[in-house]
Amino acid sequence: MPAESKELVMPAESKELVMPAESKKLVMLKVESLAFGFPGRTIGRDVSFSLAAGEAMCVLGPNGGGKTTLFRTILGLLEPHGGSVVLDGVPLGALSRSEVARRIGYVPQGHSAYFAFTVLDFVLMGRTAHLGVFSVPGRKDRELAARVLESLGIAHLAQRPVTEISGGERQLALVARSLAQEPGLLVLDEPTASLDFGNQVRVLEKILALAASGISILFATHDPDHAFLTSQRVLLLAEGRALEIGAPADVIRPDSLQRLYGVSVEVLPLAGGRHTCLPALR
Amino acid sequence: MRLSLFLLIFINGSCIGQTAVTDASGREIRPPAKVERVYAAGPPASLLVFAIAPDKLTGWTRAMRPNEAEFFPQRYANLPELGRLTGRGNTANVEVVLNAKTDLIVDVGSTGPTLASLASQVQEQTRIPYALFDGRIESTPATLRSLGKLMGNAAEAEKLAAWYERELADVRQRLSRAKEHPVVYYGRSASGLQTGGKGSINVEALEVLGARNAAAEARPGLVTVSFEQVLLWNPEVILTTDQNFWSSVWADPRWRAVRAVELKRVYLSPHLPFGWFDFPPGANRLLGLWWAGKLLYPQAFDVELRAKVSEFHRLFYRRVPTAAQLDALLGEPGVLPK
Amino acid sequence: MRNERTLNTRALTYLLAAGALVALTALAFAVGRYPVSIAEILSLMASKVTGSATTLPPNVETVVMQVRGPRVLAALVVGAALAAAGTAYQGMFRNPLVSPDILGVSTGAALGAVLAIFFSQGILVIQLFAFAGGLAAVGLVYWIGSRLRGHDPLLALVLTGVVIGTLLGSVIALLKYLADPYNQLPAITYWLLGSLAAIAPRDLGAAAPLALAGLAPMLLLRWRMNLLALPDDEARALGVDTRKLRTLVVAAATLMTAAAVAVSGIIGWVGLLIPHAARLLVGPDFGRLLPLAMLLGAAFLLGVDTLCRTVATIEVPPGVLTALIGTPFFLWLFALARRSW
Repeated sequence: MPAESKELVMPAESKELVMPAESKKLVMLKVESLAFGFPGRTIGRDVSFSLAAGEAMCVLGPNGGGKTTLFRTILGLLEPHGGSVVLDGVPLGALSRSEVARRIGYVPQGHSAYFAFTVLDFVLMGRTAHLGVFSVPGRKDRELAARVLESLGIAHLAQRPVTEISGGERQLALVARSLAQEPGLLVLDEPTASLDFGNQVRVLEKILALAASGISILFATHDPDHAFLTSQRVLLLAEGRALEIGAPADVIRPDSLQRLYGVSVEVLPLAGGRHTCLPALR
Repeated sequence: MRLSLFLLIFINGSCIGQTAVTDASGREIRPPAKVERVYAAGPPASLLVFAIAPDKLTGWTRAMRPNEAEFFPQRYANLPELGRLTGRGNTANVEVVLNAKTDLIVDVGSTGPTLASLASQVQEQTRIPYALFDGRIESTPATLRSLGKLMGNAAEAEKLAAWYERELADVRQRLSRAKEHPVVYYGRSASGLQTGGKGSINVEALEVLGARNAAAEARPGLVTVSFEQVLLWNPEVILTTDQNFWSSVWADPRWRAVRAVELKRVYLSPHLPFGWFDFPPGANRLLGLWWAGKLLYPQAFDVELRAKVSEFHRLFYRRVPTAAQLDALLGEPGVLPK
Repeated sequence: MRNERTLNTRALTYLLAAGALVALTALAFAVGRYPVSIAEILSLMASKVTGSATTLPPNVETVVMQVRGPRVLAALVVGAALAAAGTAYQGMFRNPLVSPDILGVSTGAALGAVLAIFFSQGILVIQLFAFAGGLAAVGLVYWIGSRLRGHDPLLALVLTGVVIGTLLGSVIALLKYLADPYNQLPAITYWLLGSLAAIAPRDLGAAAPLALAGLAPMLLLRWRMNLLALPDDEARALGVDTRKLRTLVVAAATLMTAAAVAVSGIIGWVGLLIPHAARLLVGPDFGRLLPLAMLLGAAFLLGVDTLCRTVATIEVPPGVLTALIGTPFFLWLFALARRSW
């Protein structure tokens, strides 16, 4: 059952995102000529980019363009059909699931909760990669999880079942879980989908703060404005092909968006060097 | 006048052999004039039909295994397998029954309304008269006589019935001399914890023998009891039909606490070619009466078992067992006290 | 309060469950068809502990040590094993309506036992066949299920389990049809109804270690098992090799269930209802859920079996009572708690 309030409660002053200094891993991701898809069906090819430490990159594209499949391949959840994914100089295939999980945090698109774990337990699941096979989260893990919840402003939800919080709160819980992994790279698949405007803004703010704290960010979205707001670089992905890659102001133009979505838009400059995108409705 | 007389005789004549008979379930049976082929719907019936007129038996309900077949003349042992039609899980194909050119279907056992309606149904389906007879041990002579009459072998049946009657009378007479009636527990299945309550057909032989069924307080029918219950009853004699149970009883510390095991009075019923004690529930249980009688009342039942077995086999299975066969039957571990 | 599980409430729940179990065990030892007084039991226990000779009649010793004792302990072991297996499966399949038999272990064990009875074997062989049959059935299901590519692995397992279970069930039906109706068929019927009446110390000695062997991996991996409740992608992204973990869970749960069914026959509902009830009390965290489920499962089956062997001269099949008692109780519990699984 969703909670009554849909608002994500935020403290007055935004708290600095807490990442313990010793875990500030810098992760470098290099994707080379990656072909990806499902067993027996390749849906994308020739995707190449590299992500430096602390960089935020947005993958922009329409539904069914291959964003999720690309991400899953980068995470090692799907076998690449060609090309390579290299993490800190090590090919992805050479890393165990635990090793990958200690480096990359994954915030999936939706989450259906089957069982009523508390939000705290849910976030603690993110600590699994740091635990021995037979271990159970200890005091240190609990403290870290509590701090992560605090920094995301959802500490008050710690004892609530995940099945009873709102969609936006659950999205934040997913982010919290991935942060508990102490990753150097965060992969978010359409983190603002199904959120209302206010919650979307809050999540975008979080992404900015995370990038500022040194975590590399790779996130998928279909809204060009998100790219303008948060990213240093954008990759346009349509039908599994990378159309363009570069700074948002360079890449997001009416003609490239026309190619991407098949609709006309206007890109308007704003004060302070920012831009925004508006549909040019007929 | 002559014509009408002639017609009268003609009509009467064609009704001879079509006389309606009432079977043990109260149903009216109209057998054909000559009964040549009889289908026995279950093992107790097979036994009696075979005993009365083996050449009229169309087949056995289950093919004989070699260790059963050796007790019968070979040409009969090889009769075809036709399956059961007896309401206790039928395996017979009714078309097969028809194909075997059956004149009469016979079953020996329960005569209650359920089975009677089943019999009527088959009778309507196949247009073959289906007669039910009482399968209780003490009704065997009467059943033999009725069956014999129905089959047209009254004389042969009479011999068997009279013999059986004498045997039963002998049993009763010896029983009256028996002074002590021990408590007996009948254990079935590999665990020995299945038994028959009072009035259950499984312990009919015990009840005929006037033995005190340990499980008498249980409801009629096959029941499972707990081990504590058996200990509480503490029977003096245990009879069983399961070879695995019999072998395991001696080493099992739980069973060792039971009086019967202490007294080494645990016995295993012979089972060839038809079981002696519980199943099949037919006339074969006469042997069980002698066997159990001897075990329970040794003084009163000072009979020569070999002679009894031999005689029964000669009359009912049409073959006198060899000395070796008798040795095997009676010498199997557990059958007789050492 | 409705949504909060404080440490105190949880501790209280465990304490109550453990206390109920101890009380029930004491009661179970004290009652039975054969009259044994509490004083006699205590005196017997004392003499066992001190090693001195006992002055009790030998039958009392037999009843307590050879008959009732093993039976009570076996009820605890079987109840706990079935509950544990059910808990593991409900988490793994993300479905609170899953029973330990979903992959066919009970049907396979039944087939093994029925075959042994059909061939007139003794108890030991029947149990061995049952145990082997259970393991073989799940092995077959798992092997086939993991070869079905292109499907959600859990769905493939469940469907295969249903199909194979049905196939094995029809073989059982065929054997029942061919069985001798006077002798084998009643034996088969009784085995399928399940019973703890014939439990011997040897059965306990075999089933308990096997159940423990299945329990050990579950306890050791209790944290990771929580992640099986997440969608596969998420669990793998969090660092868990889900395929290996699932294989292990299936193997462990099958071992426990096969061992239980081999000595007790088929007793239903324990593996389905108890984990559910336990989850409604302490939530889905496997590390907290498993001990409580086992406590409740042991207590439940012990209570049921004690009724089965004392309520009448003859034995009542435990599967009948578990359903009769368990279902309304469960409905009540479900109506009471308004949380989700």
